[in-house]
Formats: sequence, C-alpha cells, structure tokens
Amino acid sequence: MKYIGFIVALAITVALAIAVSRPLGPVPPLAPLLDPNHGFWQNSFSEDETAEQELHLTGLSAPVTVVYDENLIPHLFAENEEDLYRAQGYVTAKHRLWQMEFQTMAASGRISEIVGPIALDLDRMTRRKGLAYGAELGMTFLKENDPETLRLAEAYAAGVNEYINQLTPGQIPVEYKILNYRPEPWTVHKSLLLLKYMSDMLVGDRDLEYSNLRKILGQEMLDKLFPEFPLENDPVIEASKIWDFEPIPVTRPDSVLYPNDLLVIEPLPQPEEGTGSNNWAVSGSKTKSGNPILANDPHLSLNLPSLWYTMQLTTPDHSVKGATLPGALGVISGFNQNIAWGVTNATKDARDWYKITFQDESRKMYRFGEDWRATDFRIEEIKIKGQEAFLDTVVYTHYGPVVYDRTFKSERQDVNFALKWTVHEGSNEQKTFILMNKARSYEDYNLALDSYVAPAQNFVFASKSGDIAMRIQGKFPLKWKEQGKFFMDGADPRFEWQGYIPNAHNPSTLNPERGFVSSANQHPVDPSYPYYVFDNSYEHYRNRRLNQQLTELTEITVDQMKALQFDDYYLHAKEALPVMISLLGVDFDADPIAKKYLDELKAWDFYADPNQKAPTLFYIWWEKTYSRIWEKWTKFGVPVVRPNNYQTVELMAKSPLDSIFNMENTPIQEGASDHVKAGFKEFLVAIQEWEEKEGDYSWANYKQTTIQHLVPQFTPFSVKNIYTGGGRGILNATSERSGASWRMVVELGDEINAFGIYPGGQSGNPGSKFYSNFIDKWANGEYLNFNLRTKEQQEGVLFQTILN
Amino acid sequence: MRFILLILLTIGIVIFLNPFLPYWVIMILIGISSSLFGLKGFVSFLGGGLGMGLAWLAQALYISAQTGSSLPNKIGELMGLGSGMTVAAVTAIIGLLLGGFSALSGSLLRNLSRKTPDNVYRG
Repeated sequence: MKYIGFIVALAITVALAIAVSRPLGPVPPLAPLLDPNHGFWQNSFSEDETAEQELHLTGLSAPVTVVYDENLIPHLFAENEEDLYRAQGYVTAKHRLWQMEFQTMAASGRISEIVGPIALDLDRMTRRKGLAYGAELGMTFLKENDPETLRLAEAYAAGVNEYINQLTPGQIPVEYKILNYRPEPWTVHKSLLLLKYMSDMLVGDRDLEYSNLRKILGQEMLDKLFPEFPLENDPVIEASKIWDFEPIPVTRPDSVLYPNDLLVIEPLPQPEEGTGSNNWAVSGSKTKSGNPILANDPHLSLNLPSLWYTMQLTTPDHSVKGATLPGALGVISGFNQNIAWGVTNATKDARDWYKITFQDESRKMYRFGEDWRATDFRIEEIKIKGQEAFLDTVVYTHYGPVVYDRTFKSERQDVNFALKWTVHEGSNEQKTFILMNKARSYEDYNLALDSYVAPAQNFVFASKSGDIAMRIQGKFPLKWKEQGKFFMDGADPRFEWQGYIPNAHNPSTLNPERGFVSSANQHPVDPSYPYYVFDNSYEHYRNRRLNQQLTELTEITVDQMKALQFDDYYLHAKEALPVMISLLGVDFDADPIAKKYLDELKAWDFYADPNQKAPTLFYIWWEKTYSRIWEKWTKFGVPVVRPNNYQTVELMAKSPLDSIFNMENTPIQEGASDHVKAGFKEFLVAIQEWEEKEGDYSWANYKQTTIQHLVPQFTPFSVKNIYTGGGRGILNATSERSGASWRMVVELGDEINAFGIYPGGQSGNPGSKFYSNFIDKWANGEYLNFNLRTKEQQEGVLFQTILN
Repeated sequence: MRFILLILLTIGIVIFLNPFLPYWVIMILIGISSSLFGLKGFVSFLGGGLGMGLAWLAQALYISAQTGSSLPNKIGELMGLGSGMTVAAVTAIIGLLLGGFSALSGSLLRNLSRKTPDNVYRG
C-alpha cells in the first residue's frame, strides 16, 4: 500500500513536471514560460534597469564605449572599423536578436521550423523564389572579390554570436519562450540574406497579369489603359535633364511571339500597396540658413519590433548616425559629419518570367534555340516543427529557378516558368553602405553606389560642401521596348536580356537648376531617356505634391521640411472629387442624408488629417465607384491588374462615355456617371452602417492604423488604432498597415542639425518601456534630436557600457 | 512548527537556488527536503506547495512592482487569461502543484524507509 502511495505520488509528480515542460497544442511549455526566474517575467525589465558598466566582447583590438542616450539609442565609439562592426553586431543583438533571426528565417523559407506545417507553402514559395540561392551567390562574390567586406561581416557575425553565447535562460527574448525554440548562431550568409529579403519586400512584377490582359484586351486597349508614361509625368530626374552619353544599342527582334496562353496560376505575392517612400534634398539657395537640407521617409509595412534600429557608429575617422537594419552592417539611411543620404524604392520591372520547354518528364533538359540545355536540381529540405522534413526539388535553368511546376501550385501540368531576377546574381550591396557611411563628398557617394545591385533605390544626397544629388542605382537589364512586360518564351534566345545598363548611364542629377532633387517612387525619367523604362507600380500623386511644394517654398527651414514629411494633402481626392460630384449630378439633392455627406465633401480642404471626416467619405465613395467600374474584369477568371487611380480618374474626366464604362448584358449603355451614382448608393449604405456600429467616422478612427508584431497572432504585442492622418498617395503615407517607417531631416551646416523618428522603439522586447515609446511622437509628427554625439558629452545619457 | 519550517526552507530554495537552476532541479530539492522533515503526506504537500507557490507568486509580483512592465498583462491577453494578475495566480498555482507533489513524493519516500526497513538499502 505504501509503495503504491509513493509510486502514485511520484508518478503524478514526474508526469506533472513533464507536462509543464512540453507544449500542449499551441500553448507553450508552461513552467519554463511562467517560472519567475527564467520565464517571461524576466523579460519585464527595461534595458536601463539591467544596465551593465562593462561587458566582455572577445576579439576586440581595443575597448568600445557604448553611450545610450535617453531614448536607448546606442552611440558606439570604436578605434577601428572591425571593432566597430563587431560591437554593432553585439549591441544590435542585445536589443533585437529575435527579430533579426526571425526575418532571416522568413527570408530563407524556414518559418515551418518555428510554427509547423501551417507555413510550408510560404516556405516553399520563398525558396522557389531563390532568395537563399541569391545570398549564397553573394557569399561567393564576397569571397572572390571583396575579402575586406567579408572580414567586417564576419566581425559583425562574431559580435552577434558572442551575445547569443552570453545569454542566460532568463534573458532570452520572450518570443523564443512563447514559440519554444532557441537562437542559432549568426552567419555572414544571414546578413546577406537580409538584404535579399529587402528586395523581396520591395520588388514586384505584374508580368502574369499583363500577359493575361494583353490576351483579353489586345495590345491597343492595354496601351490606352496602361500608358507607359502618364500625362502629367513628374519624374525623379528633372525632365529638363540632358542625357550626355551614347546609349548602348538594344535590338528588338523583328517578330516577337509571346506565349499566348491564358494563365490561371497564382501570381507571386506583391509588395504591399502603399510601400514606397519619399526623399529629397534642397540646396542652400532655397533654404533660410543657406545650408542644404535632406529628408527621407521610407514607407513600409508597419511592424514591431520596428524594421529600423537607430545608432551612431564612430571611429577616429568617421562618425555616422541614422537608421540601421538589424542584421546588416552600418547605417542604411543617415548622415555623417560631411554628407547625408537617403533611399526610396526605384523598382523597374526587375523580375521577368520565361516559359520553359522541357525535353521530357525528367526535366533534365530544356530547349534553348536549336539546342537542349541541362537543368540543375536544387533540393530544398524544409524542416517542419513536429513533422518530418519536406523535400522540395526546384529546377534551375540559366534564367533562374522554375517557381511554379507540376509539384507546386500548378493547375495545369505544363506550367513551367523560370524567374529571372537581379537578386539571383552575385552582388555586394553591403559594401555600398560600408563605403557610404564613411563618404565625404559627391565622388565618394558615387563610388559607394557603384557596387549596388538590388533592390534598386533612388539615392538622395546632400553634402556640407553644398552639393545635392540624386542617383537611381540598381543593376538594370538592357531591354527593348516591352521586353519583360509579358511572360516570354525561354526557348527563344531572342528574348534574353541583352546585357545591363552601365552605371554611368543610370539616371542621375547633380545640383539641378531648380534647387532641389526629389523622389517618391514615380517614373524615374521622362521619355527622352534612351533606355526602356517600365513598371506597374509608379506613383502618380506624392511626387507631384512634393515637387509642387518644393518648387513654391523659399527660405526653407528644417521645420518646414518636417511638416512636408507629415503633409496630409490628398491630391487624388482633389482631382477625383470634383469629377465625381459633377458626374453625380442632382440625383441625390432631395435626400437630406445624402446631402449632409455631400455638403461635408464640398466643404473639404482636401487634407486627410486625423480629425477630418470628409476623407472617410471620399475614400469609401471612391472605392465603391472604382470597384464598380472594373468589376467586369473580375469575371475574366484569371489574375489581372486594374488601371490605377490616376488613369481611372482621367478616363472619367475626359471620356465619361467611353465604351470601357459599359457593362455587358445590361439594356443600357453605361457611362462613368452610372458607376459614380451606383457607387454613391453603396457608399450611403456603407457609411450609415459604419455610423451605427462605430459611431464617429473621422479619418483616423476609420483608417485604424495598426503597427503589428511580426507574428500577427501576437496581437497584445501590437499597437492598434493609432490616431494619425495621411494615407496612400499622400506624402504622409500612413495607411492602415503601412506608412513612414522612418523619418529623418538633416541640415548640413557647420554643425549638423539632425532629427529622426520611427514608429516603434529601440528595444525589441515587448516588456520594455523602450518597445513602442516613439509611437505617440511619430503619430503627432514630432521628432527626436539626432545630432551626432561625442564620447565625452554628458547631458542626456541613460547609461554607458564599455565593451572589452 | 516543522510545517512552517518546511515552508520557509522551500521558499529559501526557490529564492536562492531557482535563479541558477531550472524548476525540475528545484522539485528534486524540495522532495529531498520534505523527506528529511518526516511530515505526514498532506501536510508535506501543503508545506512544499505553499512554499514554492508563494515564492513564485512573490517573485512575480516583485518583478511586476519593480519594473511596472505591461508584459504580464500582454501575456495574460495572449494566453487568454485576462490580466497579468491572473497570470501571476496561474504562476502561483503551477508553483503550488510542482512544489506540493514534489514534497508529497519526498514524504512518502521517507515513510517507506521508516516503517519497512527491510526494503531500504540503508537499514
């Protein structure tokens, strides 16, 4: 009996101990999570509460001083670059380890390892796009061509790993505890992968949709609805620019036969709409102080921990400050004692698709001209939490990986398209940033940009010596007109890219007469540029508003530049609303409810400020009208893109009776006004529903800007319903889920005067008071002081750590 | 008296050793301590359970008060438990169960050795 009692008690005890050590379905192991000494409770401490005066970092040649200002922004003072990047890796990992690893797991298609089979399709897609393959080529490129960058990247990795090795169980970031896995060693490969991940985030293509549209609408209608240059083109490089180079000739094959199938495959995931950016620089001739001012605000998905982490990196030779990407070396958008630079996305249809004709089922050979070429098979082993690993065979051609085939998302057996993308070429973006961090002049800036391949960016520049510049840098293929706009035949060698545009022919401008340079993801150039330029996603509104403001302003101050980054002027509404009101006519004048809304719209000043109501009214009415106009296209049953807002408004204004507005199978011939009226009816229903359910329909309340944790299910770690204005197509591009992920304004006088802010906080730990503490300031359009600090400076120091 | 001592000893083990040792080593230590005290089964359960449960609760509340962090509330929401206070209570209950059953096993082990010396290695 006694034995039984003991054995039962012991069994319960052991069973209990095991039960709380294991995950129960989605519930993480309870004891390691709840144990106050090791579990999540330990993540309640903010960084200043656990500050250490000294920490050991192996491999340093001299001690590195890290001074944290009151916002937990670290200022690293090192004796040389290798020490600097080692310390950067260490300090970044200290605040952002989980995020940097998670992002590279996502980039390498390894999310299934963490969350299980639910992410398998996502992982397969990531791998079939070949991001990790591109990073491997980048690694080979570094080994062969740039041992110096490799050495620095290795120091960075060693710094990250030193931190991982020092981690006590209590200090492990809380996401690891909840998801029940542990950090693995950092590698140079992961740093390179991160930059590929940025490409993936920023680059899209619509080749599939355009191929379908071309087949359905015909070339003529396609050109009408999707002109390659808009009527009011306001390009990145001023239209007056004279191209002073002899272009490389590109020969278009005389008869081009595109594969003419209707394609029902799913398109690749596209960058979220509203990811874009603004940057500009004004020359001293336009500013009050006579100093150039540079501004940059990249718009991305708004996430926590923030994509950006701000730092100052100082050696005896240079001192640079700004936004870093956790996992990559150096500052990505920032300034030093001599220059400032910033980035916006400059996509130019960087992805093309080739139809592959395999010799037989084995897929070992594919046709290329008269010959058969051999394929490579890359076996992707995808580990899955709680299951056996999944082996995925991806076929590689000389174009790139065959993304869709008989084993992946194929609705038809013959769907075999290879993806050609500059991301698959050995490249060295990391070197660009290492050099830019130390640049002193326009010449240094250009030199730094020469090694930059992808994702293509508009690099804005200003220097203390008074120069302002813009250069569109990326590795751009030489294309004949419309090459790569549609799916191409990989068996026909005439469809091959014919080479690349030399860096010297990439569009750029230095100190233009108008006294400013600017970019907002619009068309890079005007039609006089001698190379073919095409992308589906070019901006049509922010660029015009920005250039109009910069042209008008004189005696410019830093505060005005801050205000311009926060500018809520809704140019699309300004252009569309009068057209819509006139097309609506007098049909609704007798309805008092409709009249109330219409009066609000008519009284509107076109600013999408958070407290305004009219932006909500316009937004809903426009969405309903736009959907109705293009509704018939959803019946094609294949993926297509719809004409953009700009083109749609132009059609409505200039040819409201065009047959494009006609719906089939109705007795009448519809025009634009029928859609506007029907859209208005739907709008009335929607807005009244909203008022009944939610009450106030002011813009911020309707838009509900949310900054989401990288694991969307972790809603308590997200920040919801932020009171802020702006929206898509507005300079302050803050929409529901994306917006200004970093705002920076730098005045390059004798003393650099710098300001910055981002929607997040320096700490990646949701338990820290530094996790989301910048958000309120960001939402109000306020900034933090970002002036360079010296090691000795005393005021505003939170704490200081010496690494040795 | 021995009951109070067992509680205090358990609290001491958790406070001073748990920071360096995982919870399952703490359970073994509580079991061993309980076997030395020779209390009845249920009393041991209460002694070890209250000791570990209270110690975990106190530690959790102390960290909360010290840091003022919103993390307990966030974890509470994430686990569907409501507030951070509930999370602290769940922490305490887990501590109570782990400490309690460990102490119970220890006390029953001692019972075996005391009353049936034949079956125990050290008679």
